[in-house]
Amino acid sequence: MTWSEAEKMRTRTSSRRGRGWVDTARGLVSREVFVSDEVYRLELERIFARTWVFLAHDSEIPEPGDYVARVLGDAPVIVLRDDGGAVRALLNSCRHRGAKICRAAAGKVRKLVCPYHGWTYERDGRLSTTGFDRHFPKDTDFSRMGLVRVARLGSYKGLIFGCWDASAPDLEDYIGDFRWYLDAFFARSPGGMQALAPPHRWRVKANWKIGALNFIGDSQHIPTTHTGPLTLDPVRLARTGVIKAAENSFQVITREGHGCTLTYLAPGLADEAYQTHCRELEPYYVQTLDADRRALLHHLRVAVGTVFPNLSFIETQVAPAEKAVIIRLWQPLGGTEMEVLSWVLAEREASEHYKESVLAKGFRNFGAAGVFEQDDMEIWASVTSSSANRVALQFPYSFQTSLPYADKPVADYKWPGRAFQPPEIEVVQFEFMRHWDRLVSANG
Amino acid sequence: MAGASSRRTVSENVSDAEYIEIQRFLHHEAALLDRRQFGEWLRVLTEDVRYRVAVYVMRDGTLGNVDHAIIDEDIVGLRSRVEQVSNPRLTRAENPAPLTRRFISNVQAARLDTHGYAVESNVLIYRTKTAVPQGGVYVGERRDVLVRLDGTLRIARRDVRLDHEIVFDGAISAIF
Repeated sequence: MTWSEAEKMRTRTSSRRGRGWVDTARGLVSREVFVSDEVYRLELERIFARTWVFLAHDSEIPEPGDYVARVLGDAPVIVLRDDGGAVRALLNSCRHRGAKICRAAAGKVRKLVCPYHGWTYERDGRLSTTGFDRHFPKDTDFSRMGLVRVARLGSYKGLIFGCWDASAPDLEDYIGDFRWYLDAFFARSPGGMQALAPPHRWRVKANWKIGALNFIGDSQHIPTTHTGPLTLDPVRLARTGVIKAAENSFQVITREGHGCTLTYLAPGLADEAYQTHCRELEPYYVQTLDADRRALLHHLRVAVGTVFPNLSFIETQVAPAEKAVIIRLWQPLGGTEMEVLSWVLAEREASEHYKESVLAKGFRNFGAAGVFEQDDMEIWASVTSSSANRVALQFPYSFQTSLPYADKPVADYKWPGRAFQPPEIEVVQFEFMRHWDRLVSANG
Repeated sequence: MAGASSRRTVSENVSDAEYIEIQRFLHHEAALLDRRQFGEWLRVLTEDVRYRVAVYVMRDGTLGNVDHAIIDEDIVGLRSRVEQVSNPRLTRAENPAPLTRRFISNVQAARLDTHGYAVESNVLIYRTKTAVPQGGVYVGERRDVLVRLDGTLRIARRDVRLDHEIVFDGAISAIF
């Protein structure tokens, strides 16, 4: 691309309402999308105020009064279990003078008591007393003065989502066809999945979408970014057989910008030698999943996926017959910074020994000191520091390895969504960006 | 994860000579890490070392703070981590190598019934890397078990508790 072409692109990309940020015909995306606070503010308004956004895993708050403090868009929320066992999501700010009600990352409360002047709320958010009710005007309607509720709250297979838009479609419709894939990872035993520990949390000076794209299917970065752990034991050992994978691997995109990339062991490897899942858990899969979803899991070496906008997951083999399922939240803190939350999950029915092992190995790879994460984060931060400058902003990012494949989905694909091969192309990443562009650039 | 005991070690049953030896050992060890002499550093660990680094999860109410492991390694895992960060071909996070300066203080030691010492220390690591030129600080407390092997002290157990809830600067590649 010459400078003048870049100038033209820039003219397009700087239009106020964001049109032209994503150049579908040429497979390009403006850098502004990844470094601009202005774009972030548009995202807050057009994505995080309107779509369903992941809040917590159901197993984090097992009993009445248990809560975790999270952020929905840019608003702090309390996700807690009420007296009847239902999950509530409430703005974490007192209706009186705004103080934060739950100030820890997690805890258990009998009532929600504001530490400032003592306004007290029930676990479902209703105001129980201000402490000074008698001084209020006679016609005060205290029933309308509860903590602000997240407009919609939904749960899919233990994944709790909230949405600030009361008119949004139901969560199940929003996740749509992608539910079919989520079931294989989050609903493959009668008890479902369980978060094995609180999330690891770290901050990185990078745009949240870099994480979402990395996990929806960025197979190209793996051999270069992750040379270290892939070369070294114990990760090297756990990867036996994966080198020959490919022809049966693919990526998938469904409506609403959800997608995943599934990498399989090469066909024909002996079952015993290349067992991926824990044998003891397989009866539960048989009990819970249909034949197609069991086929999806069979010899699956690593799966990554993103539920639009900022929930991702990875299921990866961490040892022979041991798989960690990790979920990720890419919490934006502006255009150029995010907080990453990373949980390790396992089937509730798994043995304590298995859970301990998967927890340690899952975090060893994908935690706040993860041998994969340390290299990813360094590079993502460099994306920001190298791109947020007048010169670099003229030159869009390339997603061009999507172009030759974008209109050639796998013809006889029998599962939901559109599938593409080979797995290392950028179709799914670019489809994510096109969906993002439709939301952010929409009128109104 | 079970937290380390909240018992404070008091330097009451070690002689001045022992105390000085322990302090000298900790300073030597910190210098090895600051100079990135990781191979040498591995040699001051026992073969059955347990090396653990945790952050806090602040809990409301009576439950207290949870000590939440972010690194939990045996010697095999540690060797692998060390190899990753010390070979420029195998690391992105530590190439170019970050500059680190460790300050070890507030050392307290007690002789154990067995053949070693329970040692507590505070650690402050100032760390500068190309991605974060202004640098950043990790602060924490360490609880070690030191044992004497062939006349020299070795680390048999290290529990680091960082005074952080959120890791502020990408994922940690440093050794504490």
